[in-house]
Amino acid sequence: MGNKDIILSGKNIVKDYGGNVVLNGLDIEIYKGSFTVVMGPSGSGKSTLLHVLSGMDSITSGEVAYKGRNIQGLKEKELAQLRGNSFGFVFQKPHLVSSLSLYENIFLAGLVNNSLTEEEARAETERLLRKMGISDVKGHMPSGVSGGEAQRAAVARAVIGKPEILFADEPTGALNKSNTREVLDLLVGLYKEGQDIMLVTHDKEAALRGNRVIYIEDGAVISELKLHNYQGEDKEREKMLSGFLSRLNW
Amino acid sequence: MGKYKILLKPAWRKQRFSVLSIFFMMFVLSLFLFSSVTLLKSGKISVEKEMERLGFGDFTAWVVNYPEELPGTVARIPDTGEVLVQDIIFAGYEANGKYSDNEGQLMFYNNQFPYNFISEDGKRIKGSMPEPGTIYVSPAMQQIYGIKAGSSITFELSRTNGKKTFIVAGFFEDAFMGSSMIDMKSFIVNNKDYKEMCSQIREAGENNALAGIGAMFHISKAQESRLADTEFYQKLIGQTELSRYTEFTYRKDSIMDYMLLLQNILAGFLAAFSVMLFLVCTVITGHSLESVIAQEKNDMAALKIAGLPGRVIQRVYIFLYGGSGISGVAAGLYISRFVPGKIAKAMVSSTGMLIDIKVPVKENILILTVLILFNILVVRTKTYRIMAIRPIQVLCGTEFKKHTRTHIGRKYLILDIAVREVIANQRKYIALFLVSVLLAFFIGIVNNINAWTGRNGEGLMDAFSVAAHDLGVQPFNSSVPMDEIERVINWYSPVTDKYELAMENVAVNGHEYTANILNRTELFHIIKGEEPEGNEILITDTVASGLDINIGSTVKVSAQGRTEEYRVSGIYQCANGMGANIGMTVPGYSQIGDITGFIWCSHYILKDGNMRDYAYKYLEENYKEIDVHTNSWQGLGGIVEVVHAVVLAVYIIAFCIILLVTALTASKILLSEMPDLAIYRSLGFTGKQLVMLFALGFWIVAAAGAGMGSILQAVYGRKILINIFRLFGIGEFKTEQILAVNLIPFIIIPLTFLLFALIYSGKIKSASIISLIEQNE
Repeated sequence: MGNKDIILSGKNIVKDYGGNVVLNGLDIEIYKGSFTVVMGPSGSGKSTLLHVLSGMDSITSGEVAYKGRNIQGLKEKELAQLRGNSFGFVFQKPHLVSSLSLYENIFLAGLVNNSLTEEEARAETERLLRKMGISDVKGHMPSGVSGGEAQRAAVARAVIGKPEILFADEPTGALNKSNTREVLDLLVGLYKEGQDIMLVTHDKEAALRGNRVIYIEDGAVISELKLHNYQGEDKEREKMLSGFLSRLNW
Repeated sequence: MGKYKILLKPAWRKQRFSVLSIFFMMFVLSLFLFSSVTLLKSGKISVEKEMERLGFGDFTAWVVNYPEELPGTVARIPDTGEVLVQDIIFAGYEANGKYSDNEGQLMFYNNQFPYNFISEDGKRIKGSMPEPGTIYVSPAMQQIYGIKAGSSITFELSRTNGKKTFIVAGFFEDAFMGSSMIDMKSFIVNNKDYKEMCSQIREAGENNALAGIGAMFHISKAQESRLADTEFYQKLIGQTELSRYTEFTYRKDSIMDYMLLLQNILAGFLAAFSVMLFLVCTVITGHSLESVIAQEKNDMAALKIAGLPGRVIQRVYIFLYGGSGISGVAAGLYISRFVPGKIAKAMVSSTGMLIDIKVPVKENILILTVLILFNILVVRTKTYRIMAIRPIQVLCGTEFKKHTRTHIGRKYLILDIAVREVIANQRKYIALFLVSVLLAFFIGIVNNINAWTGRNGEGLMDAFSVAAHDLGVQPFNSSVPMDEIERVINWYSPVTDKYELAMENVAVNGHEYTANILNRTELFHIIKGEEPEGNEILITDTVASGLDINIGSTVKVSAQGRTEEYRVSGIYQCANGMGANIGMTVPGYSQIGDITGFIWCSHYILKDGNMRDYAYKYLEENYKEIDVHTNSWQGLGGIVEVVHAVVLAVYIIAFCIILLVTALTASKILLSEMPDLAIYRSLGFTGKQLVMLFALGFWIVAAAGAGMGSILQAVYGRKILINIFRLFGIGEFKTEQILAVNLIPFIIIPLTFLLFALIYSGKIKSASIISLIEQNE
């Protein structure tokens, strides 16, 4: 992949929380058309990396560039526009707005996105609800649905604005096995439709969905593994990932 | 004990702002409440004591040119206890270049009537005979004429150079005419000066004398008398010639009512404000406890799991919140020992007396008990929820929310979301809503009073006049060019209405009153009953209670030697002469009095009332044989100032309450809404939008509350005020500024909440999304 394909990059990123250095001169590039998985042990800085790359958190030094533009210098309003129009987020917990129904949670994100008209946002909300398989509970409040349904709504909310990158931070961390599988399959489906994804996880099962696995430790990239696109269960692929991780003492 | 100590420390650390705010509010409310009760009670006792000390009886009759044997005749009536005669001279005067509308009442100092003087620093000092050529005046003269020690006052005794000038030596406490509500003022002079003046008046003769020699008869009922006051007075009138020489008579109660009118209004206002604060305090205490329990329920559940009984946790909160409330009440009670004295001292120019502050122990104990018990009840009831916390349900449970449908669209996205947040979280906003209702209601009431009082006291002028007017002109003879005078008035401002009024002395069932004879009886301020026709009269509440008569009663009205029977058709309002007046029709009065003389005063209502004083000045300077007056009086300015100061105070206090309530509720609501705000931010909302979203929630709730309060005020406020004002002899209460009265609180309250919420929630802007999200984890 050439330079033209880099949509997000970090150079010499340092993130220091009052003396606790979480990212220590980290360099990273996220390419167009990739499903990047970031793995690493607890406290390695993987979530922090996602936060700083997505502009949700600042860095102590270094540079984070989106499509070649340094996002650290952006004003609050520009950053908000970036989050609303170009980035999508899925967290470990669904973090749906408690006073809005599932439908409204997704629709609201569509309204914030400038590329959709109100009517288009409405239509897109309905389409995503069907795609996520939660049409029948669309009028329910977040407190009235299962964790899996809520997380699927969170995924739909994250992608309604057709973001350039979908940031997913341990999106299956709070789900049971069957819900985990469903959510991961959804992400793969979205990727296949052209959605670039950056997934932070410590779950091997989740990591198998990506086509690029970056391993970080002590705030720096240690190693990287390239995989073919996920086509379903594949023993060879599992073996490659296991080998990669065992070499890193995972 | 140890476990309480461990629990108290963190609870205090987290809740200290709420706890201190409750302390502060309870302190202010108890300070106001105890002060107002002390002021009311002490005022009454002080005036009563002073009147007793000065020998005021159950009645005081002001008599002129009376025969020497009259006091003895009155004293010999079996039911009379004592008759004290206090010599006085009635004379018109000029003070600081201003002529008085009413005669002054000159007295000399003696041991039988030992008036107290007031020192320069506002303390009571024992009175003594003034130096010759000096005079002691009522403190109200400061307010009315700007009099101070060293000013001069000139009395007119006779037409032939008969003027006497005194230098003001100081002020004295006047238990009757001291109040700025009373136009007639008393003066104390040297015995020698007094005698000289009497000689001058006598020498001038009846035709040349401008002043009159008279006395106050302080008449007390015998202790063993079983007669009611009115019956006793009837007996005096019937069996003596007292009424023939009497200018006016007042009952002790009426004198006291007028002496304490302003102070009672202020104390009443303080008491009403305390009640509102009490409600605000109750709402805020309840809200704070509810929020705290909601926020801390995880910790409380954990403590329960650790084996701590719910009642221990409950006691910690009862101690914190109940303790702060009770401490506030106690602090307010303590400080209230000093405040009423300061208020009374500040009001000395309105009341004319220094009020001795005596703490009313019984009343204070009662208030204290009620406040403490209610506070404990509220805290105990609210903290009872702690007992109901089920540890496992809390730690594993989920909060279920009902779906609320409101529109969400792009055009007013922030407003739409704010509405949704408020509706979905109604419980959290209840305190804010209730406080807005109370504030709007109370401010509306105060605005009503302010609007009624008017910029220049127009409402009070109306209350104290027979019918509304701007100018009154009474010609003394037929040579007065009334047509020309009317043209002059019209030149200043078109006359929109006109009526004729005569004020004549009459006796009703033997009691001296002023009859207000009006050619357009529909203009009387009728409170109850009907407009009088022919042989019907209107009476004031004062006359009704003084003579023990009511609508439908038949009374005998006498004037100029003729007597007729009249039926009372209604109660009307005219606080003139302390309400000692009746309203009559022209045909009705014509049966007992002469209506052809120059008794009629033409009253004019101007299109532009502000031109009143200019027209008055012109007429006063250019026409000598008329009496021209406006509907104002000399003490009015001071009263209007008090009302305006009260309105300002209410706005300032309301502002402080809003600030406090915003700080108290915003901190808790913000904390509970932070997760949602974090999500909004991750979706692309800016910090500014989130601040606006949060503050709009406050605005919406405050607007709903203020709207409700304004509606309640519009429906019930006037009724409440009418009932309160009737206690002060004011029976009509009209304001035309309905929109201003209700719209101002409706606009100001939500805007102030919005402003404070914007300031308070500013920290949302600088909070990082990650920290917000992590709070939600």
